[in-house]
Amino acid sequence: MSDRDQQSGAVSWEVQLRKGCLELAILAALWDGRLYGLEILRRLETASDLIVSEGTVYPLLNRLRALGLIQGEWVESESGHPRKYYGLTAAGKERALQMAAIWTRFSTSMNRLLAPLAERK
Amino acid sequence: MPVDAQQRIDAYLNRLRGRLRGLDAENAREIVEELRSHILDRATQGGEMTLAGVDAALASLGNPEQLAGEYMADDLLKRAEVSRLPWRILESLFRWGSLSVAGFFVLLSAVLGYFLGVVFILVAAIKPFHPQTAGFWVYPDSTGGTTYSVRMGFGGAPASGHELLGWWIVPIGLVGSCALLMLTTNFALWCARQYRRSRALPR
Repeated sequence: MSDRDQQSGAVSWEVQLRKGCLELAILAALWDGRLYGLEILRRLETASDLIVSEGTVYPLLNRLRALGLIQGEWVESESGHPRKYYGLTAAGKERALQMAAIWTRFSTSMNRLLAPLAERK
Repeated sequence: MPVDAQQRIDAYLNRLRGRLRGLDAENAREIVEELRSHILDRATQGGEMTLAGVDAALASLGNPEQLAGEYMADDLLKRAEVSRLPWRILESLFRWGSLSVAGFFVLLSAVLGYFLGVVFILVAAIKPFHPQTAGFWVYPDSTGGTTYSVRMGFGGAPASGHELLGWWIVPIGLVGSCALLMLTTNFALWCARQYRRSRALPR
């Protein structure tokens, strides 16, 4: 395997990893209160280094809504057009807590496993 | 707002709306309005709305067909899974097939599977009416090879060759067609689930 293949393998793994975290990241972003799509995007960009394309987030919001984890509501704004705000439902809060617990347990044990590699750096 | 900026937004959203056909109307409308609101917010980020701002906003959403595909794929597969009806599955596969190469091949094999299933049912049903000619025939073809053919018995028997199964074609045809229809349905849904797993987030 060439260096380049190695690198692209690592990159595609990172893409999958980020993708896998996105659902939890969105639920977590809504934990403190409701936000509209663009605010969610900005929150994800500033609070985590999840750089997400807009074309990914909106369909995902639609799916989380269909699953009953979030609900949307149109709110008039001073910008002249209404915005669709999303908030967590009871089921969404429960799911966020579950996922956060799994994440914490998993990342703690992963970090323990990776400790020798970190020292090498 | 500049007129051509408005036109560009409308054109984008119309293309998107065209591809969202099949979602329930209310959901499709909400999706379009939400994205309109997003585009307006993005395009006015720097203050005044400009054509360049609109173009940038549209570019970062990606092409409308692909975006619609993101919205549709999940919904289609879900519907097919719930109903398990061959025509529902084919309808979903047809859309999926228009979105990806993998979907296209699954569509082809499902069409073939259902087609053969229907042929088996037909031949079993027609056998009592064309007892001499309907059935599973084997006969030499023009190139000197052998042809196996399921015949409905219209247009008489082939000049040479013989029918293999006799009345057994009825039970074998019925059982075979049930097996084919079920196999095809399960295969299509299995592919759909694999596809969703490969691209979607964990549930």
